[in-house]
Formats: sequence, C-alpha cells, structure tokens
Amino acid sequence: MSLTNEQLTTLYTNLVRARRMDEKLVQGLADGKTVSFFHSGQGEEAVGVGGCTFLRPDDYVYYHHRGHGLAHIISKGGSPKEFIAEHYGKATGSCGGIGAIHSVDPALGILGFSGTIGSAFPVSLGWGLAAKKNGRQQVTVCFFGDGASNRGTLHEAMNMAAVMKLPIVWVCHNNLYAQYMPLRDAFPSEDITSLAVPFRMPAESVDGQDVVAVHEAVQTAVARARAGEGPSLVECKTYRYRAHAEGVPDIAHYEPRPESEIEAWKKRDPVILFGQRLMEDGVLTRGDLDRIEAEAASEMDAAERFAADSPSPDAAILEHMLYSD
Amino acid sequence: MREIRYLDAMNEALAEEMARDERVFVIGEDVQAGTFGVTSRLVQHFGPDRVIDTPLSETAVAGSCLGAAMAGYRPVGDFMFADFIYIAANEIMINTAKWRFAHGGRVTLPLVYLAAMGGGARNGPEHSQSPEATIMHTPGLKLAVPSTPYDAKGLLKSAIRDDNPVVFFYHKRLLGLRGDVPQEEYTIPLGVADVKRAGDDVTVVATGQMVHQALAVAAEIENAVSLEVIDPRSLEPLDIETIVASVKKTGRLVVMDEDTRRCGVGAEIVMQVIEHCFDSLDAPPQRLGAANLPIPGGYTERHVLPQPPDLRAAIEAVIGQPLPA
Repeated sequence: MSLTNEQLTTLYTNLVRARRMDEKLVQGLADGKTVSFFHSGQGEEAVGVGGCTFLRPDDYVYYHHRGHGLAHIISKGGSPKEFIAEHYGKATGSCGGIGAIHSVDPALGILGFSGTIGSAFPVSLGWGLAAKKNGRQQVTVCFFGDGASNRGTLHEAMNMAAVMKLPIVWVCHNNLYAQYMPLRDAFPSEDITSLAVPFRMPAESVDGQDVVAVHEAVQTAVARARAGEGPSLVECKTYRYRAHAEGVPDIAHYEPRPESEIEAWKKRDPVILFGQRLMEDGVLTRGDLDRIEAEAASEMDAAERFAADSPSPDAAILEHMLYSD
Repeated sequence: MREIRYLDAMNEALAEEMARDERVFVIGEDVQAGTFGVTSRLVQHFGPDRVIDTPLSETAVAGSCLGAAMAGYRPVGDFMFADFIYIAANEIMINTAKWRFAHGGRVTLPLVYLAAMGGGARNGPEHSQSPEATIMHTPGLKLAVPSTPYDAKGLLKSAIRDDNPVVFFYHKRLLGLRGDVPQEEYTIPLGVADVKRAGDDVTVVATGQMVHQALAVAAEIENAVSLEVIDPRSLEPLDIETIVASVKKTGRLVVMDEDTRRCGVGAEIVMQVIEHCFDSLDAPPQRLGAANLPIPGGYTERHVLPQPPDLRAAIEAVIGQPLPA
C-alpha cells in the first residue's frame, strides 16, 4: 500500500495544518478567546493525521481529547472554521457554540465525543455494532490515550467487540502520561499492545512520530475490519510537548517533567521529521514545504478571524437542544 | 377484552415494534432467555442479530445502545435490575443524557433503557431500588414507570418510537399482573397521567406498585374518604397539569413512590404543586417513599418501603381526622 506523492503531500499538509491550528487555540486561550480549557496536542499530530486522512468519509471516528481531536477532525475533512468557532463559543461552531470542547460533523462520521475519559470505548462499540449490522463495510476508528486504557470500560468494550468481531480499530495515543500520572506507575507494561492479548486481536506498536507508520498500521487494521475479520489494536508511541492542559503545571506526579525527556522527543518532531524525509526522497522541495506552511498559516488565520468575528449563540436555543421534537 | 400479563404486554410491544421497524433491536445480558420474561421468545422470531446476548458488561450494553442509536438504529437495552443502571452511570447519566445537547442537537438518540425496579421481593439493597428520582433529576432522559399491562404496552411502544432516550422502569412485582389489553394497535404518549380512580377528598399520586396499594386503600376507605388516585405513568415528561387540576378539586395531596424519600419523586411533585396552586391546599402535603436507608433484604424490607398503613396515616394527616379501622 505504498502512498503516491500526492498522498504523501496530503499527509504532510495535514500535519502542518494541525500544528498551526493547535497553536491558534493555545494563543486563543492566552488571549481570552478560547472559552473553555484546551488540551494541546502538539507533538502528537501524526497519530490523528496518519490515522484519519485516508479513511472513508462514512467511517466513524472517535477523536481524541489531545487537541480536542483537531488533527483527527481536519484530517477526516472537518472544518477548522467550525472547530475554532466552537472553541470560541460562537454560534457558527459545529455544536452551535454550546459544546465548546466538542465537535460534530455527522456527514463525515464524526458523531462527537465525551469529556469523560474512557467513554470512547463503549460508544465506539455501538458505532461498530451499527456498522456491522448495516453491512456497508464502515469501520470505526477509536482513539484513546494511555490514561484511558486504565478504565474498566476498555475491558468491557474490547472484549465484546472481539467476541462479536466488530469492525473497530482501537488506536492508542501512548504519550506516557495521564495528566500528571506517568504510565510507568499506572500500568505494569511499557506496551499498551499487551492489552490485546486476552481479546485475541492483532496488535501493533508503531512510532507515533512517523505519520506513515501510523497510516500503514491503521490502514492494515482498517482493511481487516472492513473484511469482517474483527477489531485490532494499534499503539502509537508519542509525546505531548505542552502541559496536560493550558495553564496547569507540566509535571510528572508533583515534579516537573524532565527537560531531557521533552527535548529528546522534540528532536523527533512529527512535522519536521516528515518534511525532511519528503525532501530526502525527492517528493517535495524546500520551496514546496514553505508554500504548504504559508498556505496552512493563511488558512488558520482566516479560520481564526472567522471564529473571532462570529456572533455568540442566543441562549434561547438551549431549551431546544435537549430533545429531538 | 382479553386479559394478559404485564410482562406479556411488554413482550408484545417489543415484538410489534421489532416487526414494524427493522432498526429496532434488543441487547443485554440474557435477553434471549429473558431474565424476567419480558424479552423471551423474541430471538425465535427475530434471530440473534436483533436479540443480542452480551457478556456481563453493563457499560458496554449502554454504550452499544448510545453508539448504535446515533448511527441510525433504535436499540432497546436491557439492564435486568434498575439498580444496575448505576454500573453504567457514566454511559447513561453523562453520555446518553448529554450527548445530543453537547453536540448542538446534531445527533438524535432514539433508544430505550429497560430495567426492573422495585422492592417487595426481599432481594436486598442491590436488587430492590427504584431510582426514579435519579433519572428524573438528569436532564436529557425521559422516564416511564407503568403500573398496568395496558400502560406497559402502550408506553413501551411510544418509548421505542421516541427519538430521544427513554428509561423504562417496569416493576418486578407487577410482572404477573393481569389486565385488559386490546388486540388492536395502540400507543400511550409519554407525559399523560391517568386517573386510576376518580375521587373528591384527597389526591394520591403514585407510581408503579404503589398505584395498586393506593387503589387498595381507596377501596377500603371509600365509605369514609374519597381518594383520587393518579398515576403519572411517566415522570419525565411529567403531566403536572392533571395533578394540579386534581389538587384544586380535593385540596389535599399525598405522593407515594418507592424511591428514597429524601430528594425524591414526592419532594419534586409536592413542590411543583406548591408552585402551581399553593392557595388550593387545605393541608400540608404528605410524601411517602423509602426511608432514608438502603433497602434491607429479608422481612425487614417492609420497614423501609412504604406500606398501606403508611398511606392510611398520611391520609389521616391531610384530612385531620382518623380513618375508620
């Protein structure tokens, strides 16, 4: 399944777009425009981009809370304008400005997510069940973190999905921390893939900073799911550059995360790594990278202005949101 | 008219709705056998893909329903005992209740959560609860609590056709109750109370098994005091208008249900009546519910759950005189 130059360029473009977009939301919070909290996904973009760019439009994606799923959502075709507007609490946001950290785009298989960690598993199970029942070969790709893997919901959902052979790909962002809790003190293995063993499903651990590696592992699992062979697990070893959330301390337990650790991971930045590789392989030139960079910056500037200039929602809509008439 | 049992009325409702709409399916632990008989024999008619036995995994059952509902199906999840909804509280109280709202009304959740509530079977603290107030307290969940075979069938059909999440608590002590149920198709809308017995002196609002206790007491004292017994049939939406109209006639109110009295259904209904027609009340309203204790197992249960003598005492309190023995 080697990628064409055009596909490689698309992956790179989405990485750059995701990074610029994440920076906008961080800045938006500092400027008092991002209305809720924000959990930056900088450093982890290759997981969402590699996992979502080449899915079918009707495949379901449970996006991850890192970056509030921005890398996953824009790679699936979602609108940065609506995403940023939602985070600015504006009526033009995908949830009308009342979801804040939530995004939704049903036509793209983006049906939302929950603010409670571990909710990913049971809901994705339901999407997988629907996909199996409808026979349209849809696949559900569920992103979760190493922290979520500590929840009991993982056991219930992964077990049932395996027994029922549901078309689900479980993709872990293993970034080594659940808020302040290091994985080494939360899980008796370095590898989340060990969780696949009791459920007898294939599992692959990949370099989460390598967008092509993520893409290939996820697509292998997607093909298996689409063929009716059941769920798989993909673990992406990655790292977040910023604190758990903007404005909270960047710590492990109660002490700062090691500078050496952060610097080591930043040397393996997914955007820079892939750009260099594409130049070395002769796919893109320095000029191409600069153009992609400029276009992404321009797109996100425009999206940010759209959000900032949009009206706030009328509170009268709230009463009509609860139930479908 | 023919008489059938409460559980068979529910079974008929499920079979009719599954035949009517192929998107309807039943999922839960041992639903093919049917622990209480409510879902029995459906698998023989509709097959194991539409009557799905799951592992012992309540959060997975709830998540399956939630996910499949937003992906185009109309699931009916069975939780066996109403107590077990707490096991899946995140999936039910947070995710199901809030998903549509949190995503700007852009997903619909046509699903039913079925469970058996109620004491009287001496099953102890984890198998006897009636968490009506918990559901009623949670915006985004509708709640039906039928007391008769006729109501059980008509309400369940409406619940399945509703485009919103409906929690459906049937009473485990009413399963074998026989009552008139027409052969012909009918539904009962949620949010319409039923006056089970007309009267002039005291309004008694009761749910589930307590409706039958109230009717029994009403018959015992009919020569002394005329009770009007109202069954709300659904607590969300709540038909407060019918209750208020009755209180304006009688001037006296007793509310009786099996959930814990503190912050309970009675507290809510009494307060709403006060807000609507305080000046019509001739005596302080009375509320009867479970004592502020866990429901014990064995024969001490009756000291915690409301009993007919408690209703008689409450009636004496609102009329200000003793009832004939």
